[in-house]
Amino acid sequence: MNDLEPIAVALKFGFLAVLYLFLLWVMRMALRDLRATASPGLDTGYHELPPPRADSEDAFLEVLAGGGLTEGERFDLFGGVSIGRSPDADIRLDDKYASGIHVRLFSRGGLHYVEDMNSTNGTLLNSEPLHGEAELAHGDVVRIGDTELRFDPGGS
Amino acid sequence: MSARNRELLALIPVALLVTAGFAAVLIVESNQLGNLSVLYGVYFLALCLITHLVIRRRLPDADPFLFPLVALLAAFGMVMIYRIDDGLARDQANWFVLGLVLFAATIVFLRDYEVLERYRYVIATVGIGLLLLPRLPGIGAQTNDAYLSIQFGSLSFQPTELAKICIIVFLASYLREKREVLVVGARRIAGITFPPLKHLGPLLVVWGASMVMLVFIRDLGSSLMFFAAFLALLYVATARISFVIIGMTMFVVGAWFFANTVGHVQERFDIWLDPFDKADSAGYQIAQSMFAQADGGLTGRGLGEALLQLPAVSPACAADFPNCGAILPAPHTDFIYAVIVNELGLFGAAAVVMIYGMIAARGFKTAIIADDGFSKLLATGLTTVLALQAFVIIGGVTRVIPLTGVTLPFISYGGSSIIANFVILALLLMISDKARRRVREQNEAYEAEYA
Repeated sequence: MNDLEPIAVALKFGFLAVLYLFLLWVMRMALRDLRATASPGLDTGYHELPPPRADSEDAFLEVLAGGGLTEGERFDLFGGVSIGRSPDADIRLDDKYASGIHVRLFSRGGLHYVEDMNSTNGTLLNSEPLHGEAELAHGDVVRIGDTELRFDPGGS
Repeated sequence: MSARNRELLALIPVALLVTAGFAAVLIVESNQLGNLSVLYGVYFLALCLITHLVIRRRLPDADPFLFPLVALLAAFGMVMIYRIDDGLARDQANWFVLGLVLFAATIVFLRDYEVLERYRYVIATVGIGLLLLPRLPGIGAQTNDAYLSIQFGSLSFQPTELAKICIIVFLASYLREKREVLVVGARRIAGITFPPLKHLGPLLVVWGASMVMLVFIRDLGSSLMFFAAFLALLYVATARISFVIIGMTMFVVGAWFFANTVGHVQERFDIWLDPFDKADSAGYQIAQSMFAQADGGLTGRGLGEALLQLPAVSPACAADFPNCGAILPAPHTDFIYAVIVNELGLFGAAAVVMIYGMIAARGFKTAIIADDGFSKLLATGLTTVLALQAFVIIGGVTRVIPLTGVTLPFISYGGSSIIANFVILALLLMISDKARRRVREQNEAYEAEYA
């Protein structure tokens, strides 16, 4: 056709080559980015526990459902924690039925207790309404609104 | 490398592609290799750099890939439209600049997108008003049977494009508040969790609205786009797949019903199922689009090489050819994807689809790392509506679904589309900036504590 045709053909393949190299580069960077932010989330200020070890001593709460928390997420109970919707709560719930500080968990004499902090919508401990405080046993489920948390005393 | 430097680096290949694209088109059109293509490339790069500086100043932590990917789509659009008609390309370039200005304005003046949550009912009303505008006598205009645009003198505008932002903002804030209510008291039947009947209310209302859109605005594409975006948001808000299954079933049943009863919807379906049956009349566009795509092959005919107009017939319209001898009608709007396939082949087309895929991936990533409900839902909604729009038109042109006249985001010619999509991009980047800043600060605090 004309003397510029080779350039047109080169441009066509060059265009596709640059296009794909660019996309490949973005994909690689995005993938690396994905791995980088997959590191531990620190949303609550509480550190997620590593997978349970045999010699682990600390009791923890495991998230079963809801509340804007990830299912299976674990919270260390060392030193006691407060749970609620307020930003001041140690474990912050995104749950409409949760009060600012809904319950607190604490230990006394080596035993763990859960106490309802006069919440508006109440707390269920193993499907029973919780009044005041109650001792926690292995596998007890604390329910706040749509959020379910299971108690595990840890250890072996 | 910081996010912004990464963005800056990514803009260089984009500018290179614009230059190469224009160079190829100019060679074919005027058989010369001047410095015009370099000039266009430099203009484009300069515009992107200014925008980049705005992002650098205001949203230092925002996602680094979204803007370059969008710029790449815009580059595709600019080259393709220039190749179709350089007058249109000049308009499109103006719209592109205006889009970038609005993009910057959104970022600078909105500052905190969370205020949108407070005005949700106002925003919803505006959105519905915009959707109904094209049916108003006097300013409403009909294109290809569908009521999608309004006309002020010579200026035409598609309010659906802006309406989609309003509706997503409303749905995000509404579902953010009501999501707990929607999941309470569900029952499990045959492994699927069904919501109680009374909570299907919102689903029914939105379904009804999308059916009304189907009949009154006569556009399956927009109707599908809005409804599917709603289902996506509902799914993200409640984690109940049953809502999606029920909703999709309802939509298919509704669309099927109207396809069999309402004439114009029926015709759309007929030419979708068999465009070659009416290849000389109603099915002409789709049939020609299929031919153009098949003609593209693996690597295409080359930029600027697609045959769009029969030279002998144009401009004087000959009765023998419908659409004034245009081989591919509406190549700059609805069928721009077919032109891309014809000129860059399967590889080029796959790249375009991949760009949309990557934008969607970055958008959903933003939704995942955002920590409050409204940001999550808004990012999901905006990303979904963008991706669905690309799906609806690419699907229509490739005959996956019935063809409807929505634009290919950032590529197609059209002011309202470019502007609306840049506002969506601005909102996405604002959400991304907030979410990523939080992650970065946490990581820094973590490192400071343990390093």
